[in-house]
Amino acid sequence: MATYAEMQQIFDDIRGDFRYDHDLNGCLNCGICTATCPSAQFYDYSPREIVQLLWTENVEQIYDAMQEKIWACAQCMTCAARCPFKNSPGGLVAIMREVAIKHEMQSAKDVLRPFGRVMLKLITTGNQLSPDMIQPDHFPDWGPNIQKVEGDLQVLRKAIPVKTLQTVETAWEVSLKTSVEMYTIWEMTGVLKSLELMDENLFDVIEDFIDEKREDYEDWLEEQEEEDDE
Amino acid sequence: MSEQTPGNHNQNGEGAGAGTMKPGYHNTDGQGIAGHGSFFQATDLSQEEAVKATDWVRKHVDRRTIDLGDRMDDVREHMYELEKDGQIIIHRITDQHEPATVQTLFGWDKQVPTKQLWHHKSCGQCGNIPGYPTSLLWFMNKFGFEPGKDYLDETDQTSCTAWNYHGSGIGNVESLAAVFLRNFHQAYVSGKQHGHDLGHFYPLVHCGTSFGNYKEIRKFLVESAELREKVTKILGKLGRLVDGKLVIPEEIIHYSEWVHVMRNRIASELQTIDVSNIRTTAHVACHYYKMVHEDAIYDQSVLGGNRTAIITSTAQALGAQVIDYSTWYDCCGFGFRHIISEREFTRSFTMDRKIRVAREEANADVMLANDTGCVTTMDKNQWIGKAHNQNFQIPIMAEVQFAALACGADPFKIVQLQWHASPCEDLVEKMGMSWSEAKKTFQEYLKEVEAGNIEYLYNPELAYGGKV
Repeated sequence: MATYAEMQQIFDDIRGDFRYDHDLNGCLNCGICTATCPSAQFYDYSPREIVQLLWTENVEQIYDAMQEKIWACAQCMTCAARCPFKNSPGGLVAIMREVAIKHEMQSAKDVLRPFGRVMLKLITTGNQLSPDMIQPDHFPDWGPNIQKVEGDLQVLRKAIPVKTLQTVETAWEVSLKTSVEMYTIWEMTGVLKSLELMDENLFDVIEDFIDEKREDYEDWLEEQEEEDDE
Repeated sequence: MSEQTPGNHNQNGEGAGAGTMKPGYHNTDGQGIAGHGSFFQATDLSQEEAVKATDWVRKHVDRRTIDLGDRMDDVREHMYELEKDGQIIIHRITDQHEPATVQTLFGWDKQVPTKQLWHHKSCGQCGNIPGYPTSLLWFMNKFGFEPGKDYLDETDQTSCTAWNYHGSGIGNVESLAAVFLRNFHQAYVSGKQHGHDLGHFYPLVHCGTSFGNYKEIRKFLVESAELREKVTKILGKLGRLVDGKLVIPEEIIHYSEWVHVMRNRIASELQTIDVSNIRTTAHVACHYYKMVHEDAIYDQSVLGGNRTAIITSTAQALGAQVIDYSTWYDCCGFGFRHIISEREFTRSFTMDRKIRVAREEANADVMLANDTGCVTTMDKNQWIGKAHNQNFQIPIMAEVQFAALACGADPFKIVQLQWHASPCEDLVEKMGMSWSEAKKTFQEYLKEVEAGNIEYLYNPELAYGGKV
């Protein structure tokens, strides 16, 4: 349990985000946001409650909501489209999630653990999802026939008449140079640091991968220079 | 006596009178309704004056003609100012892009380029529903577009990373902005290696999540000098500035907007199959029209302009039946994080709020969507419904896939329906094609693929910067 001062700091970080004033303009407690919210139908979650807690600066209950409730939001932004005050409860939840990660909250670690495989794919390849991830053993609830033609995945992907899509480990072929540029973005924007706070083992794996890819890129550049000299 | 249901406007002097009005009744019988309780005063308006005073109630409020005053900013106006100040470069839509003009929610014009397009792919579509991009490229070829000149599909691009951000909270506005600007800078310069000017290819965003994210991030970039300063350093390090400036697109364009503006040409020039017997329902991606909602296309001729025109306009143009259902406004249940790690929410929501309703209310032959997450969610989560005796299914696909089928595209080679889990074969059969024959032909083609005889929609070398 955090001290009041820590909870106050968490709230200060939330309202310190430049989007905060965009996303919170007042609240009539009308509940339109909750009435239209998909997550409110299935979870103990209410966008109206989130807005009210922030609007009334209830730092203790804000902290409490960050333990679980904020992770229920589906981020569809229906609430934002409906709010008469032009609030964005979904946008506020996004800020709160970022702050939960910054403060290394256990709730964030627990919630994100199953997300590791996707995170690894995204950070290292610039693709969120790949054909080899969408297989029956990963998604048994999608049924035995998630594809209508059986066959080797590589061959089936080769049968897509678009060159960039004939991949198995990424959704499309991303050039090495592009991936290396993306690593720079991750580093310079603190994303890798966030990842380290959440999952040190995953961070180590990703760091090794990035080092390897950068070396590959350096080698490729050298090869290009040699070719040009010839 | 007129029928007096709540909301009716009683104009015939038979109102209930002061003090006895019921909620929702608008009393115009001259007895006055000004104020409440002890403040009540009779207005003493004549019948004619009363009707005039309440005219606005009866008037159809058209959001596309309403004067928004200072209540809604058009981000493009601020972009033009920033460009004038020499702070940014706007990737302009020019006559070369042969743009079509459409209207958005508040009646603002939006230019949708129809040619010289840089395909900005979607990780979910490419990984899971490849028939989306293939159908789109197939249409462009059918219209005689020249690959490498009229469109480009290349490897120098990443996902927008917003799926991850919305799902996990890992990432931030800076990283999203840097990714956006890096990808769109590449679109801006991509023509050079093919012998064209800067800005030749205009980005066409395939993904709904990317579309919403890019629109939102563009607003933040235009509004925040601090954010621009931060990302300028990053883009500078990547060599992704032009004359030291950020490149920001004049419009963010979603692929379904291209389909929307091309729908009549698709129907008149390419359609070969009558789909008037097909009952379609539409699910438009939340991040298409609920995020930065002022930028979504609305058209008075489609659903009275009361809902975004996307998808429905295409179904209408093709002559299919457009069937309404009560939960059209609900999201699909994707949830970003939920489809991966809280799938009981995703599948319950999509089955209860979308599939069941489209089946029981609309008796739909197909649900058309325009985004990765929506198609994946609604397509893949039907089988598990059997565990709860939810024995109903509906084919799910993008409107561009449906349009391609209606224009005679191969259900497997082009529309790539083999990757779908929902019963798309039922739709194909109802459209008059033999699923089993098409499948047999495709399985024969797979042998050719194994032998290295692969058919392409464009010269593969183009993807790597090569010439046609």
